Amino acid sequence: MRIQVRRTGGFAGIERQAEVDTSGRADASEWHALAERAVAAGRGTPPVGVPDGFSYRITVDGRTVYCADPRLTDEQRKLISRVLKEGA
Amino acid sequence: MVPGMTANRGFEPVFCTIVPPHVLDRLAQAEDPVVHGPARRTLRRDAYERTQRRLTTVVGAPAVAAPAEAEPGKPRRTVYDARHRTALPGTKVRGEGDAPGRDATVNRAYAGLGATFELFLKAYSRDSIDGHGLPMDATVHYDEDYNNAFWNGEQMVFGDGDGEIFLDFTIPVDVIGHELAHGVTQYTANLDYFGQSGALNESVSDVFGALIKQYTLGQTAEEADWLIGAGLLAPRVTGKALRSMKEPGTAYDDDVLGKDPQPATMDDYVRTGRDNGGVHINSGIPNHAFYLAATTLGGHAWERAGQVWYDVLTGGELGQDAQFTDFATLTVEAARARFGEGEELRAVTKAWERVGVRTL
Repeated sequence: MRIQVRRTGGFAGIERQAEVDTSGRADASEWHALAERAVAAGRGTPPVGVPDGFSYRITVDGRTVYCADPRLTDEQRKLISRVLKEGA
Repeated sequence: MVPGMTANRGFEPVFCTIVPPHVLDRLAQAEDPVVHGPARRTLRRDAYERTQRRLTTVVGAPAVAAPAEAEPGKPRRTVYDARHRTALPGTKVRGEGDAPGRDATVNRAYAGLGATFELFLKAYSRDSIDGHGLPMDATVHYDEDYNNAFWNGEQMVFGDGDGEIFLDFTIPVDVIGHELAHGVTQYTANLDYFGQSGALNESVSDVFGALIKQYTLGQTAEEADWLIGAGLLAPRVTGKALRSMKEPGTAYDDDVLGKDPQPATMDDYVRTGRDNGGVHINSGIPNHAFYLAATTLGGHAWERAGQVWYDVLTGGELGQDAQFTDFATLTVEAARARFGEGEELRAVTKAWERVGVRTL
């Protein structure tokens, strides 16, 4: 499973993106469960968000959803933070 | 779009983010009261908050009566601590009039709210964000290593930064002023947070953020650094701030952050769908126009250039979907209305010419 996260906006307006490929990872099933829940709660179009809030695009195996701060589910927040931290 | 709605029309109270709405709907239909009770309460509260918020934005000023102890012309500040979690507002740690505590972040936020209140009151006779003494709330220590600050439609939220790229977002007073100015914009022109109107929304926040810093330091336009977010970048980052109103595009140039993408003139206007249509990028153009007008006039920038910008923001003529040309034209009219056919009018007209924005 390929999980991509792109973050745009924010006070600085600086874009960040990262990707995690779960194939061969010992914790792959944990990633899959998290990614599926995060995507299920996402939206098909980017929400307007709040001034200076981050906007996120999450793509899991070609399926893309959007979400924005501060209205993230716990799973979205966790997935985004893990991908941006651990991804390449 | 519906008149009177805010740019934050998608905003709903934060407790909704803990459980997604479709899950709440399902739980509310459960037979077991232990399950459906809290879900139904949350949905009722959600609907109530949403209605309140719609009313607030449609009617304008909130219909909340000021508490008995509230005095006109005095701030009502509350700083909350999210304790590195994301529930808002968090735990109250300092109220109006409370003595400073040991947490420097809390003290900076409290002082920054005070500085912002002071500028709007003294320079423009505006009583708080909404002009009617709205309490000023800020939450600090939001999330972990959080590299951002934002206005959620009701309050300011500040992260601590990760220490690698960004430091604590309460360090620059102009960042605090910037977030509060989003509140002022929401209660006045309510510029749509997308494309050129969004870049104007951002620019207005940078302008008043910079003015709050200058007012606090007693600086003239010549003495000011015209930087947004000076002191926010971690030591290892190559850069002096996040944005420069004096020289847009020169605030940073770093291996990790990349290069400051801001244009100074319409020749370099960036067309993009990202960042709500480049709201933090193209704001460089109106930012630079303000800098040019303010430095041409000299002296305290909040007194003349700032007054003209404030008049446009609050004058009722600026549309929610205003483009650069609309805003520029209104500043020329406002300069004439307030100062007559003088150097203010010439400075403002010339500033827009130099950044390539047409005035009608």
